[in-house]
Amino acid sequence: MELNWSTFLLEIINFLVLVWILKRFLYKPVLDVIARRRADIEDRLAKAQHLHDEADRLKAEYENRLVDWEHERQQAKDNLSQELNEERTRRLEQLHTTLKQEQNKAKVSQLQQQTKIAQALEHQALQQSAQFATRLLNQASGPELEARLIGVLLENLANLSQDQIKTLNTQWGRQPESIVVASAYPLPENQRTNLEIALGKITGETIPIQYKQNSDLLAGLNITIGAWVLQTNIRDELKGFTEFAYATE
Amino acid sequence: MNEENLLIELGPLVITTTVMTTWVIMGLIWICSWLITRRLRIDPGPLQTATEGVVTSIEDAVVAIDSQHAQRIMPFIGSLWIFLVIANLSSLIPGVHAPTRDLSATSALAIIVFFSTHWFGIRIQGLKEYLRHFLSPSPILLPFNLISEITRTIALAVRLFGNMMSLEMVALLILLVAGFLVPIPIMMLHIVEALVQAYIFGMLALIYVAGGIQSHKLHENGQGGSHD
Repeated sequence: MELNWSTFLLEIINFLVLVWILKRFLYKPVLDVIARRRADIEDRLAKAQHLHDEADRLKAEYENRLVDWEHERQQAKDNLSQELNEERTRRLEQLHTTLKQEQNKAKVSQLQQQTKIAQALEHQALQQSAQFATRLLNQASGPELEARLIGVLLENLANLSQDQIKTLNTQWGRQPESIVVASAYPLPENQRTNLEIALGKITGETIPIQYKQNSDLLAGLNITIGAWVLQTNIRDELKGFTEFAYATE
Repeated sequence: MNEENLLIELGPLVITTTVMTTWVIMGLIWICSWLITRRLRIDPGPLQTATEGVVTSIEDAVVAIDSQHAQRIMPFIGSLWIFLVIANLSSLIPGVHAPTRDLSATSALAIIVFFSTHWFGIRIQGLKEYLRHFLSPSPILLPFNLISEITRTIALAVRLFGNMMSLEMVALLILLVAGFLVPIPIMMLHIVEALVQAYIFGMLALIYVAGGIQSHKLHENGQGGSHD
């Protein structure tokens, strides 16, 4: 236990050097890196706080926006519901109108159908009656019926007024060269004479008459004076009857 | 002079094993510090974490005593703790004597603490203000304050020297009497004692330095209290 001054002095110097070494190579770098880390952590905390604040702000903004959206959505939903109700009402009205129109059309169509059926039945009846009359007249026709028809003709020609005769004269045009008289059966002489007298009275002149026989006429006459044709026979009457039946369809 | 401790003699300058061991310890501390701190990262590894733990523990201890001047006195107190821990534990290596078992080394450290107390006190308070605290609370106590400054320095040196030398002596005596492996419990006690003595020396030095710095505050607080 003795004090060595040389060691004493060297230890003092050594320790002072050691303090410098530790300060230079240990404390300063370590404290610097700790300070940098703290600054980095504080910076990150500040950034995190900033992000947190920003997130809070965005959250509040989004919540407000969500409320707005909810309100808009509800409003749109109400509008849509109202539009749907209106559209449904309109469509129902339109459907009712269409149904009524269709019902009317159906009624009209039904009526038309019924009318057509009635017409067809009527036409069929007329045809059948015409066929029946034709068949009946075919069987019933003969010189007697023809004589009676000539008698009716002569009576009608005799009853014609002057005006009617004048009108007839204008219808056959220029003076015909001959008058063609077709009959279903051969005409007796007396009927030919009466017929020539009646025709001469109508035409006012003596025009030669050509007599022809046409059994298709069934009974009666077919007189042709130029462009004018007088049909007083069963065939043409039946034909006119059938044409009338077609014309009434 | 003990001939066993003498290594080199250059005229008046004598290099003892204590000085040589101190240089080795300094060299190791230097190399380790350089190796650890050359690649410091923000994201630390295990070794960096341990180093930062040591440094921040020292800083926290200093801040707990004097937070205002911690940055100034921390390197000095930290160096004392680091050096003393390593120096005290160096005697566990066979053939190596701890520098702190030499009274010259402990006296050198104590005298450094003595002058550091006055150095920091004068630098921070100013000479007049610092010297005034020797007269407080009464000028009559000036001799006692001066004696206290000297005796506590001597106590600081002798306490560390006595404890470390006695531990080595006990281990040596038990080894001589009982033989191999028997001194192991004493050596384990040596580890605890080495750490405790390093802590006591550094903490006392911290308290002395902080006391010198904050003496004017205590004085002002005392006057303020009397006014109240």
